[in-house]
Amino acid sequence: MKLLFDRVDEPGLNTIDVYRARGGYEPLRRALAMRPDEVVAQIDASGLRGRGGAGFQMGKKAAFIPKGDMDKFLVCNADESEPGTFKDRELMQKNPHQLIEGIAIAAHATGCNRAFIYIRGEYDYVADILDGSVAEARAAGLLNHVDLVVHRGAGAYICGEETALLDSLEGKRGNPRLKPPFPANQGLYQGPTLINNVETLSTVPHVIRMGGAEYAKLGTETSTGTKIVSVSGHVRRPGNYEIELGIPSREIVYGLAGGPAEGRRVKLWFPGGSSAPVLTEEHLDLPYDFDSMAKAGSMLGSGSIIVIDDTVPVIDVAKWVAKFYTHESCGKCTPCREGTRWTLAMVERMDRGEATPMDIEIMAGVQDQIIGHCLCVLGDSMAMPIASLVKHFREEIEAHIEAARARREGIVSPDSPREQPTEATV
Amino acid sequence: MPRPEVRMVTLTIDGREVEAPENSMLVDGAKHGDVEIPVFCYEPKLGPPVGACRMCLVEVEGIPKLQTACSTPVKDGMVVHTQTERVRKAQEAVVEFLLINHPLDCPVCDKGGECPLQDISYGWGGGTSRFIEPKRHFRKPLALSPLVAIDRERCILCYRCVRYSQEIAEDYQLVLLERGAHSYVGTFDSTPYVAPFAGNIIELCPVGALTSRAYRFRARPWDIEAAGSICTLCPAQCNISFTVRDDRVLRVMARDNPDVDDGWLCDKGRFAYQAVHADERVVEPMVREGGTLRPVSWERALDEAAAALSRARGRVGALAGDGATNEEGYLLGRLLREALDCNDLDSRVARGPSRETARALSAPALGATVPDVEFAHAVLVLDCEPMDDMPILDLRIRKGVRRHGMRLVVATSRPSSLDPNAAVSVRFAPGAGEAFLAALDAALAGGDVDSAAGAAGADPAAVRELARLLREAGDDVVVVWGERLTGGPRGEQAARALLNVCARLNLRRDGAGLLEIPSSANGRGLREAGVLPGAGPGWSEAADGRDAAGIARALAGGELGALYLLRTDPVRTHPDRTVWSAALARANAVIAHASVLTEGLLEHATVVFPAESYAEKEGTVTHPDGRVQRLRPAIGRPGGVRAEWQVLADVARRAGLEIALPTGAAATKLLFEAVPFYAGLSLVDLAADGVRWPERDAASALDAPAWEPVELERPPAAPSPNGALRLGTFRPIWAAPEVEVSPALRFLSARARVELSPGDARRLGLASGARVHVSHDGTGVAAEVVVRSDVPAGSAFLHEAQGANALSSGEPRLVEVRPA
Amino acid sequence: MRRYDEDVVEVVRGPQPGGAGGVYRAFGETLRGLKTTFARILEGPVTVQYPEEKVPVYPRFRGRHKLHRFEDTGLEKCVGCSLCAAACPADCIRVVAAENTPEHRISAGERYAAVYEINMSRCIFCGYCEVACPFDAITMGHDYELSDYNRSDLVFTKEMLLAEPLERTPLRAEGE
Repeated sequence: MKLLFDRVDEPGLNTIDVYRARGGYEPLRRALAMRPDEVVAQIDASGLRGRGGAGFQMGKKAAFIPKGDMDKFLVCNADESEPGTFKDRELMQKNPHQLIEGIAIAAHATGCNRAFIYIRGEYDYVADILDGSVAEARAAGLLNHVDLVVHRGAGAYICGEETALLDSLEGKRGNPRLKPPFPANQGLYQGPTLINNVETLSTVPHVIRMGGAEYAKLGTETSTGTKIVSVSGHVRRPGNYEIELGIPSREIVYGLAGGPAEGRRVKLWFPGGSSAPVLTEEHLDLPYDFDSMAKAGSMLGSGSIIVIDDTVPVIDVAKWVAKFYTHESCGKCTPCREGTRWTLAMVERMDRGEATPMDIEIMAGVQDQIIGHCLCVLGDSMAMPIASLVKHFREEIEAHIEAARARREGIVSPDSPREQPTEATV
Repeated sequence: MPRPEVRMVTLTIDGREVEAPENSMLVDGAKHGDVEIPVFCYEPKLGPPVGACRMCLVEVEGIPKLQTACSTPVKDGMVVHTQTERVRKAQEAVVEFLLINHPLDCPVCDKGGECPLQDISYGWGGGTSRFIEPKRHFRKPLALSPLVAIDRERCILCYRCVRYSQEIAEDYQLVLLERGAHSYVGTFDSTPYVAPFAGNIIELCPVGALTSRAYRFRARPWDIEAAGSICTLCPAQCNISFTVRDDRVLRVMARDNPDVDDGWLCDKGRFAYQAVHADERVVEPMVREGGTLRPVSWERALDEAAAALSRARGRVGALAGDGATNEEGYLLGRLLREALDCNDLDSRVARGPSRETARALSAPALGATVPDVEFAHAVLVLDCEPMDDMPILDLRIRKGVRRHGMRLVVATSRPSSLDPNAAVSVRFAPGAGEAFLAALDAALAGGDVDSAAGAAGADPAAVRELARLLREAGDDVVVVWGERLTGGPRGEQAARALLNVCARLNLRRDGAGLLEIPSSANGRGLREAGVLPGAGPGWSEAADGRDAAGIARALAGGELGALYLLRTDPVRTHPDRTVWSAALARANAVIAHASVLTEGLLEHATVVFPAESYAEKEGTVTHPDGRVQRLRPAIGRPGGVRAEWQVLADVARRAGLEIALPTGAAATKLLFEAVPFYAGLSLVDLAADGVRWPERDAASALDAPAWEPVELERPPAAPSPNGALRLGTFRPIWAAPEVEVSPALRFLSARARVELSPGDARRLGLASGARVHVSHDGTGVAAEVVVRSDVPAGSAFLHEAQGANALSSGEPRLVEVRPA
Repeated sequence: MRRYDEDVVEVVRGPQPGGAGGVYRAFGETLRGLKTTFARILEGPVTVQYPEEKVPVYPRFRGRHKLHRFEDTGLEKCVGCSLCAAACPADCIRVVAAENTPEHRISAGERYAAVYEINMSRCIFCGYCEVACPFDAITMGHDYELSDYNRSDLVFTKEMLLAEPLERTPLRAEGE
């Protein structure tokens, strides 16, 4: 069942005429004819959960926006920077009007009179497409009730965090804010603000078109609808796939994406982008939905599967995760700022052969002191996968440390290869 | 906004029931139960918490995650644990994380011994670190400014200094650069962080990352003693604590008094202590011999002074100025009036309103307090620049606007640094304060605004808008006004107009009223001690005499023979420099108390008594809002310096007036007996935070009946420029002898500058930095041009420094500006 | 009701004087001391002829302080941190620090001791300064000959403490 990716490769879909020819902007017309609370009720009935990572129900979030006659803001989070996630790019690049329509409907539903698409700076060409489409929609009189602006970010991962995004949008340094107050009450410029992901907002026209109850029939009871999954890593056909939530994960990794190359097997996989705790081969038979992933100790997150096959040493995965989050930590909270850097230093030391298995304990302990101790979840995003790697692959890491140390101390000839080939790193 | 009411709630912390004010944060609430929760980034003075350091994590029952106590408000029935294993581990971890990048150079670091990071590491840290990797390194130490050194390795990135710069001082200079573990505090393009309040970041820093360059390596906490006193360098009279080592003042720190300074200091207050030990300081009595001042014995100096004064009995004038205490003012009044039969004494630079009007203006019911400025519905800043005239008030006004939604309206001739925070700013011609008030009075009363606004050179629509705002903002309106408004020949009319405005806004209520910024540090105290022509101690009736300008004329004309200068040099500070120079040259005797020989004294003083510095003084001063505050000596007097109350008493005795003064406290006692509304005060009451006399019962001694609006005279129109420029003068914060002789501050010394509007500058073919000659009627001064975009066309503003007071006269004037 | 007889304590007295026991108690201890005296009389005098002869001290004897330099660079080890002054129970150390500049470098760190004085007339030679020093810049030497004619000469300056003192005190050999 394809909703978001329905005939997505149709030529000229980014123009309003082609989009209208297939019934686009019809849901907006219908929504504008409804009372705002009716629209919210439809979204609520659909059970649509946020596609950006946290998985919070959009209907509930929209209901938090206070009523009243003040400036209210809708912000579309298009700062898609999570490693392994590239669904929003395709959605915006190929079908921008679907997103604009979703924003227009959501703005009507919540009474927001100003809307922003905060798009990451690296998606400059996508922002150009959006600019054109927004101009088209405005010219067609579809945005009379909301003032929509496309704002380019400056390339910081942290600005995908909603409060940091708001700070950045206000022209400040993109640092997460203390919550409460939550953005629904005091967000952008201290006004009520609804923040949603590109995919969530792109789904809204379909919810209105189908009706909330009808949409809720898709997927599982708690994870309704369809989801675009970005599959990357060691699979034969990486890319974006739209699936109905709740299908077995194996069907995505092996069925749609073709599984790893001949003779290799899945060693571990990230079910929700690089910030999700890793799962192993045995978890592939779990249904791919919010709750099953949470039950398995991980999360669906932004719905991006990164597959790592058995050619990759676990320490390389850990190093790559730690490096990314160390680079992207904003530096505001102590545990994240110092913990990410320390973790990276420890992992590198392990790989250089300057560590002992005791350092695994220290590393695991450090992760424990990052998780849940910061303003936002950036620190957790490193700590959780690292902690899960230690949990699932402790023996391998220990062996790696010992081998690296032996190599370094000359017990084994320095020319001898590492115990596993490294060409196929991530 | 009015102060919120405080309700108490009960919560349980570590099994103990604790009563805490509602909406206070857990960190503060816990203190009510004697539970300390460690913090780094939390500082209530900086406004809402940011929760960055994560040191204050605690367990709150019912919330799965640990919560930051600095950002969690207390709630009724809340159950909090601060001592559980989980909390302890988390806090230990944060200390360990912080010490990852913090160099352990405590023996070298100036903060060592008074460092929150040291204390918290001992109290809440694990004792060992498991971190063996290399630390982050930066080049160090660097000068963040000529006053502040920054060591970025020691920085724990708590954001305090950055928040201070962004949200308190609002100079927007300090920022955090880079990100993650590489973040560091700095300014754009590494421009030096020079701002009037920059020094506060030194005290805010919880580690040794920001240290004072003047105090650098001078002493360790166990070498020093703290001595609380009052800074008398400006009318703000901030409460300070001197850091003393070996009888030398090495540092000045804020002594947090929310009723006065809110715990902040300006850089002048923080660094000008160096003047106490400056080489330029006068430490011996001097007498002019053969044209030059030579050190002599006290006996000789006192004899000469008394002899000169006695010779001129009946023909002596006196001026008192910056830093003179109430007691000295009182003794000076007695010396003049009782011993020398003279009534010509003044503590103001220009004649003010009549005694009755002045009493009405200082009526206790009409007085606003400093905190009122913060919590008022609206504040009108009238003809003054708080940043220069009473710096710390500037921060209080900003705080009111930012945190309590106070509406600020500014009415000045010179563009104000508060304009960006103001709801309405109105400009009027320099010296046209009276006309502006007449227009405002008319706008409030529904009369003819246009003619008065025209006379003031102000936009009538803006005046109406300002009046509407004051009326509609709420009941609590505070008017902050500068002494210059009621100075000069038309001071009486301006004061009446001001009283009209107060009556129309009904300011005789708590939380509203007037706050006058006097032009000298203890201006209010000296007036109340009776250093005024025609008013004795406590505004009592006295024989009329000459004001400052009158004294100058009388001296120049030979009607007065001698002049007694108590800590002032009129050639430097008073308008009409030329007249004063002539007056001092003609005087037979000029007896001065001074700590630095400024130009007038150097040339004309016949006897100079060395003045005490504020670190050596004892006595009382009165804050502009009526708070009587106590000065306490922090160090011994250097060289031959004697207490000035003693010098005054000695001179009086030699001139035939016996005042029994065994101690300084006896002088205070005499003062409190002489001023009716100080009656019953004692030095003990003033010990800590001072006492605001208008709040005491004795204040009824000065009660004036409610002012009924009177018919105002038609104000004279401001002179029309016609090619020349209207001259406005003002004294910048850095124009003080203390700044000039303090090595650390010398680079900030005020220079003669003239501010021009871009239009006028273009017309005159001048650019910023050009040297010009500003002149009026053949008198002129050299100055440097500063083109400021918001200066109104047709006006020129001259900084009162380096002799620029040669041009000011207390009356509106036109000047020519020509390239030098 | 307080009963005063509870407070009455019986005093236990020694035996009555007199008799053989009494004689022993009077002279017994004296004789025991004399026994030691006569036993040692053959060993000769043990008096040391000070100042011609000096009593050797143990290696850990705490005598006059020494300040040290780094042997390779010649820079002073002391950074002027004043911790010794803080630790000193007799309050006899005074340190005034100053800042090193590239042209004028005294110590290795940012700061150095511009003034370092120990008032030997007050020092109690407890060695706390040595313990407190984070840089091993101050140690206790072995000299104990510190008398002088003038009190003010007993305030040792940094230069005096840094100078290599004439080691006039013999060290006690192993096992001596």
